Amino acid sequence: MSIILRILLIIVSILCMIIMMRKIRHSKFQIQYSLFWIILSLVLIAMAIFPDVLVMMSDVIGIQSPVNMIFLAVIFILLVKLFYLNIQISQLEYKVKELVQKLALSEHDDLKDIDDKNIKE
Amino acid sequence: MSVLVILPAYNEEESIERVVDNIVKKYPKYDYVIINDGSRDNTSKICHKNNYNIVDLPVNLGLEGAFQTGLKYANLKKYEYAIQIDADGQHNPDYIDIMLKKASEGFDIVIGSRFETEKKPWSPRMFGSRLIGTAIKLTTGKKLSDPTSGMRLYNRKMIKEFANNINYGPEPDTIAFLLKQGVNIASVQVTMEERMAGTSYLNFGKSIIYMLRMLISILLINNFRKRS
Repeated sequence: MSIILRILLIIVSILCMIIMMRKIRHSKFQIQYSLFWIILSLVLIAMAIFPDVLVMMSDVIGIQSPVNMIFLAVIFILLVKLFYLNIQISQLEYKVKELVQKLALSEHDDLKDIDDKNIKE
Repeated sequence: MSVLVILPAYNEEESIERVVDNIVKKYPKYDYVIINDGSRDNTSKICHKNNYNIVDLPVNLGLEGAFQTGLKYANLKKYEYAIQIDADGQHNPDYIDIMLKKASEGFDIVIGSRFETEKKPWSPRMFGSRLIGTAIKLTTGKKLSDPTSGMRLYNRKMIKEFANNINYGPEPDTIAFLLKQGVNIASVQVTMEERMAGTSYLNFGKSIIYMLRMLISILLINNFRKRS
C-alpha cells in the first residue's frame, strides 16, 4: 500500500469524524446513527497505520494487492449498509403512512367518536 | 408539589394492571401517565377498560421516543418532578418519596441505584455496568453507582431540557453528558424486583451493540457535544 493512499485514508477518516461531531454538536444528528461512521473511520485509520494486517488478510484470501482488498471490503460494507438503509426507509415509509392516515381519520368529524369507542371495546 | 410518574409500556399486558393499580391505590398523591409505545398486544385495551390515564402512540418509537412523550406531557402540564417507572414491575414506587426528598436538597436528577450502599455483584450483566461506570469516571471524574438504572427522577429544569432536545434518551450516555456539563446528579439506594413478565429487550447481540454505543458516546462523542 503506497504511503499516499495511507495518508489519504487517514485524512478522509478524520474528516468524516469531524463532520459527524459537528453535526451532533449542532443537534442535527442522532448519536446512534453516527456510530457506523465513527467505527468505520477508526477501522480505516487502523488499516492505514498497520497495513501489515491488511497484507496478511489479502494473502489468506488470495488477493494479490492489499489495495484491492480495501476496495472489496469497502464495497461489501457499503452494500450491507445500503441493504439495512433500504429496510429502514421501508419501515419509515410505513410509519409515516400510518401516522398520516391516523391523523386524517381522527380529524374527520364523523369518525371521532367511533375511533374512541373502538379502542375502549 | 406536583409529581408525574411516567410509565413507558411496550407489550406489557401481563404486568401493567398490577403496576398501575399499585401506584393508584398506594400513592394517589402522584399523578401518572402510561405511554403506550404502539404495543401489539392488549396493553392499550386493558388501560382503556380500567380508565387509566394513557397516551397511545400510533407507531412504535422505541424507549427514547416514548419516554420523551411522557416528558413533553409533564412539560406541558408544568409538573415539578417527573419519574420514570418501568411498566414491567421492576421498579418499586415505595422509593419515590426518598428520591423526591433527595431531589429537594437541590439535585436535578436523582437515580434510583441498586448499588449505592449495596455491593455490585460480579455477573456478566454487571460487567457492562462497571465498564460504563468506569467510562463515566474517566471522562467526568465523578462516580455513579448504578448508571444503567432506568429509575430516574427529573426536576422541572431537566423535564424541559429532555422534552425539547435531540440526543437526550434516558440512557447512561445522556447522564454522563449532563454530569460533565455540571448538572447535579445524586443516587439513592433502592431495591428492584425481578420483572413480573416479559423479557428484556436486550439479547446478547443487542447488548454488545448497546455497550459499544454507550462507550463511544461517553468516551468520544460527549467531549464534542454542546448544551444548548
